[in-house]
Amino acid sequence: MATRVQFENSCEVGVFSKLTNAYCLVAIGGSENFYSAYEAELADVIPVIKTSIAGTRIIGRLCAGNKNGLLLPHNTTDQELHHLRNCLPDQVVVQRVDERLSALGKCVACNDHVALTHTDLDRETEELIADILGVEVFRQTIAGNILVGSYCTFSNRGGLVHPHTSVEDLDELSTLLQVPLVAGTVNRGSEVIAAGMTVNDWTGFCGSDTTATELSVIESVFKLREAQPSSIVDDMRKSLIDSFV
Amino acid sequence: MVQYNFKKITVVPSCKDFIDIVLSRTQRQTPTVVHKGYAINRIRQFYMRKVRYTQENFSEKLSAIILEFPRLDDIHPFYGDLLHVLYNKDHYKLALGQINTAKNIITKISKDYVKLLKYGDSLYRCKCLKVAALGRMSTVIKRIGPSLAYLEQIRQHMARLPSIDPNERTILICGYPNVGKSSFINKITRADVDVQPYAFTTKSLFVGHTDYKYLRYQVIDTPGILDRPFEDRNIIEMCSITALAHLRSAVLFFLDISGSCGYTIAQQAALFHSIKSLFMNKPLIIVCNKIDLQPLDALPEEDRKLVMEMKSEAAKTIVAQGGDVKDDNVLLSMSTLTEDGVIAVKNAACDRLLDQRVQIKMNSKRMSSCLNRFHVAEPKPRDNKERPPCIPQAILEARAKKSAEKEKRKLEKDLEEENGGAGVYSASLKKHYILANDEWKEDIMPEILDGHNVYDFVDPDILQRLEELEHEEGMRMESEGVEVEMDGLDLELTPEEKEALAAIRRKKSLMVQEHRIKKSTAESRPIVPRKFDKDRKFTSERMGRQLSSLGMDPSAAIDRVRGRSLSRKGRKRDRSLANDDNGSEAMDVDDGDGSNKKMRIRSRSRSMSMSRSRSRSRPPGEVVPGEGFKDSAQKLTALKIAKKSVKMRNKDARRGEADRVIPNLKPKHLFSGKRSIGKTQRR
Repeated sequence: MATRVQFENSCEVGVFSKLTNAYCLVAIGGSENFYSAYEAELADVIPVIKTSIAGTRIIGRLCAGNKNGLLLPHNTTDQELHHLRNCLPDQVVVQRVDERLSALGKCVACNDHVALTHTDLDRETEELIADILGVEVFRQTIAGNILVGSYCTFSNRGGLVHPHTSVEDLDELSTLLQVPLVAGTVNRGSEVIAAGMTVNDWTGFCGSDTTATELSVIESVFKLREAQPSSIVDDMRKSLIDSFV
Repeated sequence: MVQYNFKKITVVPSCKDFIDIVLSRTQRQTPTVVHKGYAINRIRQFYMRKVRYTQENFSEKLSAIILEFPRLDDIHPFYGDLLHVLYNKDHYKLALGQINTAKNIITKISKDYVKLLKYGDSLYRCKCLKVAALGRMSTVIKRIGPSLAYLEQIRQHMARLPSIDPNERTILICGYPNVGKSSFINKITRADVDVQPYAFTTKSLFVGHTDYKYLRYQVIDTPGILDRPFEDRNIIEMCSITALAHLRSAVLFFLDISGSCGYTIAQQAALFHSIKSLFMNKPLIIVCNKIDLQPLDALPEEDRKLVMEMKSEAAKTIVAQGGDVKDDNVLLSMSTLTEDGVIAVKNAACDRLLDQRVQIKMNSKRMSSCLNRFHVAEPKPRDNKERPPCIPQAILEARAKKSAEKEKRKLEKDLEEENGGAGVYSASLKKHYILANDEWKEDIMPEILDGHNVYDFVDPDILQRLEELEHEEGMRMESEGVEVEMDGLDLELTPEEKEALAAIRRKKSLMVQEHRIKKSTAESRPIVPRKFDKDRKFTSERMGRQLSSLGMDPSAAIDRVRGRSLSRKGRKRDRSLANDDNGSEAMDVDDGDGSNKKMRIRSRSRSMSMSRSRSRSRPPGEVVPGEGFKDSAQKLTALKIAKKSVKMRNKDARRGEADRVIPNLKPKHLFSGKRSIGKTQRR
């Protein structure tokens, strides 16, 4: 089930949190409301960790990770690294990466098996991603955008990409990632998908501006409820046409 | 998207207010003082400005009114017609036209009087011309007073119109008065429309919103319509007709089959047939209301026939749209009282409207650009690798027993609330650490230790390495064990040696003690230089003995010796001698009292010794042999150079003594006084 949340009046929840199948990172805010939204949903199953990265709150844009590991940018402080190592279970490998493009969250999109990366990423970083996260790495763009980590988000069960992705690109990406994909938006038409939502295999969080139509697309493509991706072309087709065209 | 918001129109003032506003503005914003003695040009300018300014203000305000009121030809035909019905288009246009004319007249007046003012030959004439100009402008405004009042009324009414978006998905409810239209909208939306058991309870359009399949629909409740010629209809009915005519919507035609509204089914059918031209190209549903009073099946034969006739007529609209004839959603029955079938009616209406809109949109150009958003890309297998989702067992279990109430977890938010709210409560970040020992959680870890960053030395395998090191050390110990034992044997001493060692130590300690005693007494006695006292026999006792053997009283001499030595002991540095020469001399004066001999002696000896003990500090230029200066002048220069070399150079570019200074930039004598002749600089 997808939940609508807000971080201090901002709907870009993907910026302030990182959700994977083994852990969840949440930015440190002025109050506990945002953290508790995640805690209520997840804390029974996986650790929900409050942290900063490089002293900032935009942790979702700075780090990349899945259930196997967590990659942090070079400007992460020793204390933060230590804190994260203490909070995370031992099977999650935490690694700081010496990469010039330090916003790893924008440059890397991954699930537990496949990762898409920015085309200009170092070869070393690419190897690190493959080793630490245990994924196949593909250098890709999404609808002409090189920031793959911002313009798409996918779990092991489905994915949402930039609304301008063509049908051919969708099919190609879907074959690469081996999950069903849909082009869509979050937060009342925002194209930066990953900034507006975070999702894992059983739950998701999106900004509170997200409309009912967007939310139902998200829930069906990520299989968060009983709905299957095919319902987008069957049941919801008319509603979608009427709201988009 | 065009938003029709008539609430933003600014208030139209009455003619009196209008004139007051503009004239007082002129008074406030233009200069007010003019004199007869001014040059005539200046006087003319003064009054021309007033006339022109007043005209500008009038024109500005009038054109604002013209711009803000919607032009009926430009807005959506629904609103155009609605405003026509409510306010009469001709009247409305006339009022705005009058305002426009007034604006033009005022402009012309101002032009004329400005021209006349150019020929004004005295202050009085100019003033008269100005008064005449403003007076004529005010008269013009007074003449359009009724139009202004009318427009203000319209503005107030328009601000209260419901905000209907003509391009939204719309469901329109129409029918005879008192058939249950308002009850229905109250059931399916949150609008709170007044429902009363008499005809024409609803006198204008009402809007409510409802959701169906993730989309929002606006539902419009219209006033009841009577079956009579178009020309005879009143304003209330005409509102319904305009909505029916211009909104692209789904239409629900309400039919009271019980006849409790006061109109028979035949009458209602007649209305249906007379306005059916308005239903063209719209999804139409005939809703039989009040089935709690009169079930549809139990309807008399002739009424039934009428209803079926209407149904077939309604079905034609579907055929016209190319839909399916067998569609059963044309005639529905419900009861708003028992809520029986209400939702079915709403769903049917929404569905049919959606179908129609989608059909239209499918053929539009914009559809092709959005096609990718209705496409679900299913992956084609590219290898045989299994990529399973990773859902923890706990989640699956929780899903399975979803019905069972989940116990509520105490959230961080609750804790925050209990402990003083946001900004006061700060949760420990270390609370959820996963460590081998829970007691370690709150341990403080230094960041920097002995100037080193601790984390540079953190090694996850530290325990293993420690073990290795210990093992290695153990090995080494074993191999070196023999040597260590040998050293231990060497330390053993024979009894004789032990005795000798003890003797040595004893003697050593004795010598130390002796020395300490000597040292402690050494300072308490006067010392005769060693070269005269090789045998250490010049003591004060000996002096006493010798003096007494010579027949003198030794006590005074002994006292003085002792007093002096006391005075020397432990003296601290104090004020320089130069400052209190008198003081020491005064102290030298013997009070001659002799009452306390010892004290007197002591104080005197102290003062004397004080004067002796103080050294005058040497004047800076004094040459001391061995320093290597020829004379004091040379020493002074050397000192000066030394001081200068120590002084830091001014590198901050601050103002310093070496900078050029002009002590007084504006000397008074150059800038004051009358100027009779000559230039400013040469006086």
